[in-house]
Amino acid sequence: MALSDYPVTTLERLVDETSTVYSLPLFYERLNEAINHPRSSIDDISKIITEDQGLTARLLRLANSPLFGCYAKVDSITKAVTILGTQQLRDLALAASVMGVFKGIPEELLNMTSFWRHSIACGIIARSLAIYRRESNVERLFVAGMLHDVGQVVLAAARPEASRELLEVQRDTGRFYLDLELELLGFDHAGLGGALLKKWKIPATIGEPVACHHNPGSAEQFRLETALIHLADIICHAMELGQAAEWGVPPLDEPAWERLGLSAHMLGIVIKQSESQMEETFAILSGGADD
Amino acid sequence: MFNASLLLVAGGGVGKVAIENIEPGMVLASDVHDRSGRMLLGGGAELTQKHLVIFRTWGVLEADIAGQGSDDAADQVPADVDPLELAAAELELVPLFRHTNRAHPAIVELIRLAALRRVQHGIV
Repeated sequence: MALSDYPVTTLERLVDETSTVYSLPLFYERLNEAINHPRSSIDDISKIITEDQGLTARLLRLANSPLFGCYAKVDSITKAVTILGTQQLRDLALAASVMGVFKGIPEELLNMTSFWRHSIACGIIARSLAIYRRESNVERLFVAGMLHDVGQVVLAAARPEASRELLEVQRDTGRFYLDLELELLGFDHAGLGGALLKKWKIPATIGEPVACHHNPGSAEQFRLETALIHLADIICHAMELGQAAEWGVPPLDEPAWERLGLSAHMLGIVIKQSESQMEETFAILSGGADD
Repeated sequence: MFNASLLLVAGGGVGKVAIENIEPGMVLASDVHDRSGRMLLGGGAELTQKHLVIFRTWGVLEADIAGQGSDDAADQVPADVDPLELAAAELELVPLFRHTNRAHPAIVELIRLAALRRVQHGIV
């Protein structure tokens, strides 16, 4: 009687299933409330973070890493809030906790070490590109980069059989992973990831670039951020920094490239600068995944 | 299975000459500005070592040089890299870049950087 629901599934259904299994740490919503509340103080915000000792340690290590190059030692969350600002710290806190959320993904479907390497590299490169363009609040790009392929994790966790089929067809035909997803599922990992972030009430400055990173022309609000994640993802595939489910450099959207107003000559500089930050950032962030 | 010649037609195309390929004595074909748009040196000037130091200080990455087209791939091979090895590495990257437009300047540069990375890390 029981009909297999594979391959008939919808994006909404997957997000509903997943959001009951994987949820953001409680602190995130409380942190958001505190930041948006007009009368909350730096102390209130620090208190929420310091309740989680692992998170506190990771944030302080990040704040003292080459990613920031602070001259003076950042030895308390209060100091980190003062230097980085509340929203930046919230974005970093999300980056520092999200790796612990997804566990138990079958190794043969998605090697999580390579996956997070790819994701963190994408975040760091997107952040470096943004710094190069003198954007403000660059940590949202770091988080968006970290989360850009989260839809692949959702699929591997909720529909391992579909994930396996996609990988096999990709290997046998050499076709573009995204096209295979659209054919088999009717949606892709970018849209799926974006929908999960929306369900998690993560701001659209992060959610839209994730949802549109393969199709930057479809972004409506945050086109620049989307173009940055799109390019950073391509750079990571090209330089073989980590590995997600897709194999092969995704096509470059030329209007997105034009929007960024970058010269091809700066790519080498940004990659070199970013690479020097990757190992340490990966070590700090993955230190939290085994908590 | 993959057409190697697709990659080889994609040389050059960046448009300006990269700072590391510019030498004293070359002549500017157009004005050089820093990243905030301030003019540093006018077109027609003959470059000296001091100009190049100033360009680097202000973050200038490239310039129009009189009598030279854009960089071609041969100019961009560092001294410690064997051009043959680099060409072999670029060839091996064809499958990885199969979904991209390999004539786009950004992709041309990424293929070059990826090949260099492979040669320097000894992955070829």
